[in-house]
Formats: sequence, structure tokens, C-alpha cells
Amino acid sequence: MGTDTPVFSFEVTTRDLAGLPDARGDSVKSMLASNYNLNVQSVRVILGYQVRAKLSTEESERTVYDLFADPVMEQGSVNTRLLDDSTIFPVPPQIVIQAGFKPGVTDNAGQAGLDGLLTLFPHLTPDSAVATTRTYAFWGLPDNTSADWLAGKLHNPMIERASISDQVDCEKSVWPSLDFPHQPALDQTAPAIVDLEISDNELIEISETGLLALNLNEMKAIQSHYRDPLVRKAREQLGLPPNAPTDAELECLAQTWSEHCSHKIFAAKIHHKDTETGEASTIDSLFKTHIMKPTLDIQNEVDWLLSIFHDNSGVIAWNKDWSLCMKAETHNSPSALDPFGGAMTGIVGVNRDILGTGLGARPIANTDVFCFGPPNYSEKIPEGLFHPSRVMRGVHAGVRAGGNESGIPTVNGAIIFDDRYLGKPLVYCGTVGIMPRRLPDGRESHDKTPTPGDVVYMVGGRVGSDGIHGATFSSLELTEESPSSAVQIGDPITQKKMIDMILEARDEGLIQVITDNGAGGLSSSVGEMAELTGGADLDLAVVPLKQAGLSPWEILVSESQERMTVGVRPDDCAAFEALAALHEVEATVVGTFTDSGAFVVRMGENVVAHLPIEFLHEGCPQLDLESEWTPPEHEPISFPNTDALGMGELLTMMMARPNVASKEWWVRSYDHEVIAQSVIKPFCGVNHDAPGDAAVIAPIQGQTQGAVISNGIVPRYSDIDAYAMAAASIDEALRNAVCVGVDLDLIAGLDNFCWPDPVESAKTPDGRYKLAQLVRANRALDDVCRAYNLPCISGKDSMKNDATLHGEKISIPPTILFSLIGNHSDVRKAVSSDFKSVGDRVYLCGESHQELGASELSYMLREQIDGVSGIGGRVPEIDAERNLAMYRALTAAMGEGLIASAHDCSDGGLAAAVAECCFGADAGANIDVSKIMGDCTEINSWGALFGESLGRIIVSVEPQHCAAFEAAMNGHACYSLGDVEVGDQISISNGDEAILIASMSSLRAAWKGALEGGGPQ
Amino acid sequence: MSEVRVAVLSGFGINCETETMAVFEMAGATAVRVHINRLVNGEMSLDDYHIMAVPGGFSFGDHLGSGRLMGNRLRFGLRDQVRRFVQSGKLVIGICNGFQVLVKMGLLPGDEEVSLTQTASLALNDSGHYENRWATLEFDPNSPCIWTKGITRMRVPVRHGEGKFVTNDRELLDRWSESGQLAVRYVDPTTEYPSSSDEVLPYPISPNQSWRNIAGVCDPTGLVFGLMPHPEANHSTWLGATWTRDVDQGEHGEGEGMAIFRNAVNYAEENLL
Repeated sequence: MGTDTPVFSFEVTTRDLAGLPDARGDSVKSMLASNYNLNVQSVRVILGYQVRAKLSTEESERTVYDLFADPVMEQGSVNTRLLDDSTIFPVPPQIVIQAGFKPGVTDNAGQAGLDGLLTLFPHLTPDSAVATTRTYAFWGLPDNTSADWLAGKLHNPMIERASISDQVDCEKSVWPSLDFPHQPALDQTAPAIVDLEISDNELIEISETGLLALNLNEMKAIQSHYRDPLVRKAREQLGLPPNAPTDAELECLAQTWSEHCSHKIFAAKIHHKDTETGEASTIDSLFKTHIMKPTLDIQNEVDWLLSIFHDNSGVIAWNKDWSLCMKAETHNSPSALDPFGGAMTGIVGVNRDILGTGLGARPIANTDVFCFGPPNYSEKIPEGLFHPSRVMRGVHAGVRAGGNESGIPTVNGAIIFDDRYLGKPLVYCGTVGIMPRRLPDGRESHDKTPTPGDVVYMVGGRVGSDGIHGATFSSLELTEESPSSAVQIGDPITQKKMIDMILEARDEGLIQVITDNGAGGLSSSVGEMAELTGGADLDLAVVPLKQAGLSPWEILVSESQERMTVGVRPDDCAAFEALAALHEVEATVVGTFTDSGAFVVRMGENVVAHLPIEFLHEGCPQLDLESEWTPPEHEPISFPNTDALGMGELLTMMMARPNVASKEWWVRSYDHEVIAQSVIKPFCGVNHDAPGDAAVIAPIQGQTQGAVISNGIVPRYSDIDAYAMAAASIDEALRNAVCVGVDLDLIAGLDNFCWPDPVESAKTPDGRYKLAQLVRANRALDDVCRAYNLPCISGKDSMKNDATLHGEKISIPPTILFSLIGNHSDVRKAVSSDFKSVGDRVYLCGESHQELGASELSYMLREQIDGVSGIGGRVPEIDAERNLAMYRALTAAMGEGLIASAHDCSDGGLAAAVAECCFGADAGANIDVSKIMGDCTEINSWGALFGESLGRIIVSVEPQHCAAFEAAMNGHACYSLGDVEVGDQISISNGDEAILIASMSSLRAAWKGALEGGGPQ
Repeated sequence: MSEVRVAVLSGFGINCETETMAVFEMAGATAVRVHINRLVNGEMSLDDYHIMAVPGGFSFGDHLGSGRLMGNRLRFGLRDQVRRFVQSGKLVIGICNGFQVLVKMGLLPGDEEVSLTQTASLALNDSGHYENRWATLEFDPNSPCIWTKGITRMRVPVRHGEGKFVTNDRELLDRWSESGQLAVRYVDPTTEYPSSSDEVLPYPISPNQSWRNIAGVCDPTGLVFGLMPHPEANHSTWLGATWTRDVDQGEHGEGEGMAIFRNAVNYAEENLL
């Protein structure tokens, strides 16, 4: 379309009606107050739509109220500024800021506007375009508020532009005005040849400047491939440069061999030393040794592990008709640069992993676990980073939009805080899927069935320059030079249409093979599936583009979102395309699966890449790494002198710790009930505000078999021992699942590692220690999963979670998110965490020890009390056999209906857990810990109240069931502690001695207020 | 299984069609998932159905106002089919985003002529954001609404960002109130039935600060009904917000929300077959 096409500017704002606030403006006002302590009298928001289309004047006027402005509650205009209308704004604002996307950035509202425009005027050419802006007008700002500062808080310069009118402009009625974000075509560059007959230093330079993230050994492996006489001869015949790779080949290898895609550290040969025990051993692949082997051993014993390790997610048989699958991913680097877009692409991306499992599964539940810097962080933020509160709002909004708009409930999650996540937030997004065991045509849905000759379709979104180098970028540390092209914004509606279409195509038997386009784009999706048939032929010239002029290698590796790659039999193509047209989903033939032994990429007639499948997938040399474990030393905790009331105040402080505090404000804005399957929800209790443990869903409406979904994450313990951290994460996930009554004979796990770079180098002098932490965590995973009979059906690792900004390196604490999916035999017997009735008996199941090392209490005392207290001490140790035996007894008691409530005992120990159970009942409790203390000689009242020993669950039992319950728990640690009481007080004693007294209303206020996100309510 | 046929619309970001189909099936009808484009291209016709349901979801991502773009697709693309369906005395329900669609296309609160003129709207919640929480509803016993006959109160989840019912003509509110079209309102669960009132209840009893606590409305005939909350999400007792506190084992069964769908299927069996 020529630039002579006119651009119409539409504006919309809330109409002035009594009882109708400008809620968008009020939200900005409360965000400024909450995040920046800036109090503004009034904020108004004007939405702008820049429409580039051949509309007549009459058409444009009709469009104001037929499309953009609501005729009842909004006022709109075309080509005039609402700010000039004194009937709407009688007093001119003090500052006005307009923000809009940069050219090429996904603008979902603009895309929707275009769709609406075409509904009204089908005659418009489809290359008409709509771009959106948001204009913020401020009244009653504090003196000296800088317009530039304010603009910085309202847009992200990496993806957005802003135009500003300061006080002087406003007095003259000069309003901010962004141009239409025209996106000129790029100059397509012809395929380049990359000469690798150069020095080692130059090889490294090519890798670094090209963001290839390949090390010298890998560059040399590529160099030697192109020295192979057979390879040279074959290439000569194809008309390719015989002695050197094309840029497309090098990029494709870099994507396929990236840490992100090929998990090189987990596949490495590791020489491990332990200075404590004297061990010196070699591990040939942590993945094969400690993750795959235990799961394969369990697979030999059970019949429900249908598909593990080789697909986009692991699949388990749930019953004879249905299977379940689950996958969790991280999207850390993009979320650091653009929290909203990064997190949104995280969640819609993992949804596609489910859609791309087997022949296509339906996503039915999301889980989101985030790790951020503290929201109240008051130190200076290194330049290039956002304040954690802004990261948190952005990530939350992105996941909210991605999940809600896709119609997938967010059933479970957690938010963890630690200073070291300032450099890189962790954004874990998980999705559960369901699929019929067999399709109507008889094929088992968890197996892909491609044959050579199947046609390759690219389905969904178009390819742009967004998301080029995402896979390799996330395999590098974050620096101020990190590219904005690695950032994208998801488009949930395009994806939702695609999901609807794909699932219909699956049920009609039209799909032979399917995978998503995530990291590495087409190079990865087609390249990986080519391994199944032994080859593929891909033509980049026919790939639909949203950015004209992309070069072949860019089309090949772009990670533009909302795309699936599907293999379809030639006979089924017409039906497949008809279904795509019905759903208004773009589906384009881009190639063919072959058995030629090579992945061949063409640009029309010209071959731009020819990669032997074997070299592509097996050619990456194994890393050889060193690890060395020496236990770290920490100062012990120094306990303050205090009485029972003082202890109550400490508990109040504990309840307000971000790691413990209620996340209700944030979780409420996730849809957790769509699909009408939510049995145990994120909230429970009489006021719907007490925390749930695991989620229970009953995904087949009207049926009572359920699925349990839970998460465990305890990064603090890595400060003492990553073995303990990993073990505690697994136990927490299982413990949460046990609290709701999971079927312990059908549980599966997902291990999701986020580590700082563990490879020793000049930038990472402590690489051996960090790698030893990884070794220890893997050993814990092996030991504990075997003991719990808990196979890992899917996993992921993200190994470069460091940020170096202006010479200061911030590494995250080694973190594992362990997610669990299990069966629930009858959801009507599920148990929630809230105490039910006054007079019910309270028990603690599981042993308590003096385990306060790296506990939430130790961090709290270090930060808040005296600044000299350390986190040292015994970190919780696992006894998995003992725990599992107790879990089995407790689960059986639940099946008998003996349990009124069950709640996980974790962060903040027994005291925090009892308080949470009381919140759900609007009651107090009277607890005596003398029996616990009597059973453990070393424990003091700090350990009894706040210790975090694993394998512990607080349950309550109706008085008439106590005898049967105690009999059922015979042989397991189970302590009768006291009763649920009327009133506002929680009191904990050791025999006759009161050791903690607190008011429930102050505990509740502290717990609910700490992370309240603000907003007019 | 009766012969009552329900067209449950799908496509473009509608996402509650599975459970909406399920509740009609549980109520004894046959529910069919109907992609809107199959109606536009003539592959399917609304004439073959007795009930049309527009389920919840995020049609077109709620951009340009929730329900607006889907409403336009129906208002401009299916105008004749929809008017014929309504004028022939058949039943329509819109839930959440489906309610927003029916309001934005002018079918609700509507008029005798089915003129498809928008007279009300659903504004952003006063909280400024999307929320999922449970609310208690009270139904107007004098409403002509077929869907709500005999129901007094019901506990249901609300899951929306734009659910505040408003109009720019306050006289219309009085008229709708007199004609019983303000069929369902948020109510304080601690009060005795009936106690719904025009004074806006505090947040979060009224989750969105809707005018007169309006949660849903019907058209003058009572055949077309829409509401922001999700009765289809409370189809079984084990989906309630506090069922682990207030449902005894052995008492499990149909959830409170089913009454709405049973009313419609019973009406269709008696009047439309």
C-alpha cells in the first residue's frame, strides 16, 4: 500500500455520566500511588486508533460510534482532538503523554480494530492497517513532577514510543501526537557465505557478533563438517558453496545446538569433586543419569507412562478414555526486557507445547510461578533493569491476558521473592492438556504418524522480525546490549482461533504430525520433525510475512508467535484448508517431509541450506566440564530475647513477608474457573480468601474423577545445599497434592531448572561450585523421585540466569520448580486447607526437627532484627520413605472421610500454617507444641514454631472422628496439638508456658495487606 | 434425551462453549457447537434450533470494548437470522462475554421490534481490572424472564473486567425495572430474601459497582436473557466456592446454576416442539 493512503485518527474516552468513573484513568492513578508514592488528583485516558485505509469521510464518521466508541458510555471523534473539546475537558491538563507501539511490534487491539473495520466495510483492501495509542492526561500533579519521568513509567521504550506535552505545551493546547507507525520493507539480503577457514579467535568473533552463542569447540565442529570431502562433493552437486556454510545453515545450526534447544550442560560430561567426602567421579550426562534413568526404571513398573522425553510434553494415561499431559517452560530473558510481552509469550508459548503434543492436546489448565526481586526494594536499581514492582505488574498482566483470553484457567501458582531475582526474574509457565486416548480414526493420539510425502503447513500467525535470535539470546547472559528483536508480544486471539481449528482437524483425522514454532522458529520445528521421516524440504519464499523484505535466514529462525507446523497427507489438504478458512486461520503449504536424509531449505528455486539430519541433530560436540563441591559456611541465626506477645509480633511480621503474604489481589485477576472444572480452587474458607494447596479439577463435566496439580519451589535452601533445595521442592509439590487427597499411585512430575551459568570462565570464576550445586540437585531429584515413585515426564532447563550491568554481576539462586500432576479418584472426597468448625481437633502429621537453616525466619531475622544474624543451621533434610508412608496413611484416612482440613506446612513453619488454616474459618486456635518438642531433643521453641521440616501437614478432624483418625495414623508421627477456638486469638504453648500469642485480626491484616496491589475498590 | 436443540456459538475467542454445551445436555437437551461462520456461510442455520446460547469468553480479546466486535459480526453479518430467531419466540441466553455481545448488538435489554439498537452498556469494573470471585445473585420474582422462573437466589462465580451495567438514559432503567427486565441483581448473602435494592452495594458484594446492582437483564418478552455471572460454572455441587464447608458427603449432586438451564429446556419442550 502506498504512503498516499490517508490516516484517520479516532479518539475515544469515557462519557461524563454520574456513577461512571474513568476506571482506566483511576487505575493509572492508583498504580502511581502504589508503585511510586505519587498522588495525582485526576488522570483521564483517551484511547486512540490510527486507521490507514481508503475510507470516505462519511464512512469515517459512521465508524466512530459503529466501531471505536461505545454509543452509550463513551465519546468519540475522528480527526479532531478530544482534549480540545471544552465540554469534556473544561480545565486543560497539566501534562499529557501519548504512548504507542513502535513499528513492527504486535498491536493486538489494532489488529482487532482492523477486523472490525473489515466487518463494516468489506470492500477495504486487506492491507489496510490500524495502530493504537493511549493518551494519559494529568490534573493536580505534585509540583515539579517531570513529564519525562512520568512518561518513563507509562511506556517501555524497548517496544513503545511516547510523545509528551509538558506544562508549557499544555498551556498552549499543544497535544502529543505520534505518527502512524509505518513499517517500511527491509532490504532483503541475498544468502551470504560464511568463510570458516579462519583463526580460532575469528571463529569466536563470528559467534559473538552474530549472537550465535556457539563455543569454540562447536564452531570447530562446524568448520570440520565443511572440510569433509564427501560433504563438499555433495554440496557442489547441489550448487551450494562447497567449502563453507551459508548464513542460513550457520543460523540453523546455532538454533538447534543452542543451550536453549539442546540442553548441552545437562548432556555434558562432568568431572565432579567433593572436597568434603573426597569423591572424584565422572558423570556422563546429568539428564540421562539422574532424570531419564529413574523415569525409565519406573516406566518398567507401571502401564500409564504413554509418552516421555521425546515430545513437546509428557503424556500419562488418566483413564481408559483420556490421557493428560503437562509441560512447564520459562520465559525469563524476554520478561526482563518487556515484562508484559515476555510473560504473555511465555504462557501462550507453553500452551502451544500442549497443542503440539502427540496429534494435538487441548490445554485445560495453566500454572504460573514467578520469582521477582522484592516489591519494596529500596536500593538503587542498576540501569537497564526495571524495579521489581514494575516487573511484577507487567509479568502478571501478561500472564493474565495470555491465560484469560485463551480461555485456559490459571489453577495454581506461586510468587517468590529474593534480591537476586532483580537481575533476571523467573517466569515459569506451565500448562496441562487433555486428549482422547484414541481418535475417531483409531489412531492413538499420543503418537505422531508422519510419512515421507506429507505436506508441511505453517498455521497461525505470520513471520516478522520480532523474535529473531530468541533461543540463542536466552542462552546468553543479559546485558545492556540485549536486542529488542528478542522481545515479542503474544496474540492470544489468533492463537485461540488456531487452537479451535487444530483440535477440529485432529478429530477429523487430518493431522499426521504437529509441533509448535517456538524457540528457533521454522528451523527448529521443521528441522526436528524432519528427524521423524528422515528429511524435509522447506521453501521460505512462500512463508507469509508480516515484515516485508526479511532475508532467508531471518525467515528460517524468526520466533514470531502463534504458529504451529503441521504435517498433512496430500489427500487431506483440501479439508484441512477448508477448516482453516472457516476459522479464519492462515494455513500455508511451506514444504514436504521427505526421507532424503537432509533438511533442505530453499528460497524459491535457490537452495539456501542443506543440512544432513544426522549432523544437525547429533553433530554438536559434548561439553566437558568440571565441578567441585565445598559446603558453604554461614553465620548462625541469633535469636532475639522475647516473650509470647513478642513472638506473636514476629509471627505478624512473618505473615507480611512477601514470600508468605496473601497473593489474593494478583490471583483474583486470573480466571481460575473457566471450563467449569474447578474443585479445589486457589481460594477457600468462609470468606473465600484462605490459600488453597494443590488445585483439583474435574475436567470432564459431570464426572467425578479429577486431576491434581501442584508446585514446589524453595530456592532459599540452595544457599546451604542445592540437594536440600531440590528435595524440598519435590516434597513440597507432593505434600500439597497429598493435602487435597491425590491418588499416590498415579503421580508424575516435571523438573524445571533455572540456574546461573555453571560453566567456569573469566566471567564465572565460581562456575565449578555452581555446577556442583547442579550435580547435587540432580542427585536429589534421582533419589527422591525414585523413593516417591514419581517419574519426571517432562522438564526444562534455563542455564544462564545472570545479568551483568555496568560491571556488576547478579546471579539468581539455583532454583528448581517441581510441578506435579496426579489423579484424584473422587473429587467429592477432596479436602481443603481451611479449618471447618470450632471444636475440631488440630493435628500435626510428620516429624519436626530443629531445621531453621535458610528458613524464612532466618532471612527475616537477618533483614529485620539486627542485621548480624545469619542463615546458618540445619537445612531441612528429607526422609522420603518415612514421608511417603505417612502420606499413604493420611490419604487413606481422607478416603474414609475422616479429615476436615489439611494444609501444607512450609514457609514460616507451623505457626504460619496454623494462622492460614484459621483465616479460612474466621476462628482462632489453641495449640500446645509440648508433644512435638518432647519427641526431638534438640528443638527449641523457634524450631517448633518456625522450623520448616519436610513431610509435615496440619490437619483438623471433627471430634467424633478423632479416635478413628488416630488409629489410621498409628505408626506414623502424628501429634494432637489442640483445638479450633472461637474468637480472635491464636495461642501456642509449650505445656503450661505460653510461647506465642497473637490476634487473628492483626495477623490477617498483615497477611492480606502486604501485597495488596492497589486500585479503587 | 429430548428433541430440544441448542446452538452453542463458538469461534473468535469464545471459550466457555464446552461447559455451556454440557449444562444443556445435563438439562436434557441436545447441544451443538456452532461456529459463527457456519451460520454466515449457510452451512448451518439457526432455524434448526430452539435455543441459542452465546457463551462466555474473550471474543476478539475484548479489544474495542468487550463483546463489541462479536456483536458487530452478529448485527451486521447475521442480522436477519437472529431477528427471525427471536421473533419466532425462541430462547436466547448470553453469559458473560455472551451477555456483553447481546447488549452491544442491541438485543438486550432490547425492544418489542427487535430493532437491534444499543441502549445500555457494560463498563469497566470500578476496580479497573478483571476479577474472578464468587457472588450471590437474587432474582426478581415478578420478571417475565423464562430462564429465571422460580429461582430466588444463587451462588455463582463472576469472571469479568467489564461488567458494570450502565445506560445514558436513566428513565430507561425505571422502565426496565417496572417491566421486570432487571431480572437478576447482586445481593448481600447475609440478608434475608428478598432484599435486592437499587442502592449500589459495597465492593466486593457488588464485584463491579453495576448500577442498581444489575447482574443480568431480559428482553420485554422474557425469552432473551443475559447475565455477567457464570451459572454454567456451578453445574455440580463440587464446583461451589465453599462446598468443602457446606456440602456433606452423600448430598452431592446438581449445582445451583442448573436451574436456569432446566427452565429453558422445560419451556422449549412445552412450547417449541
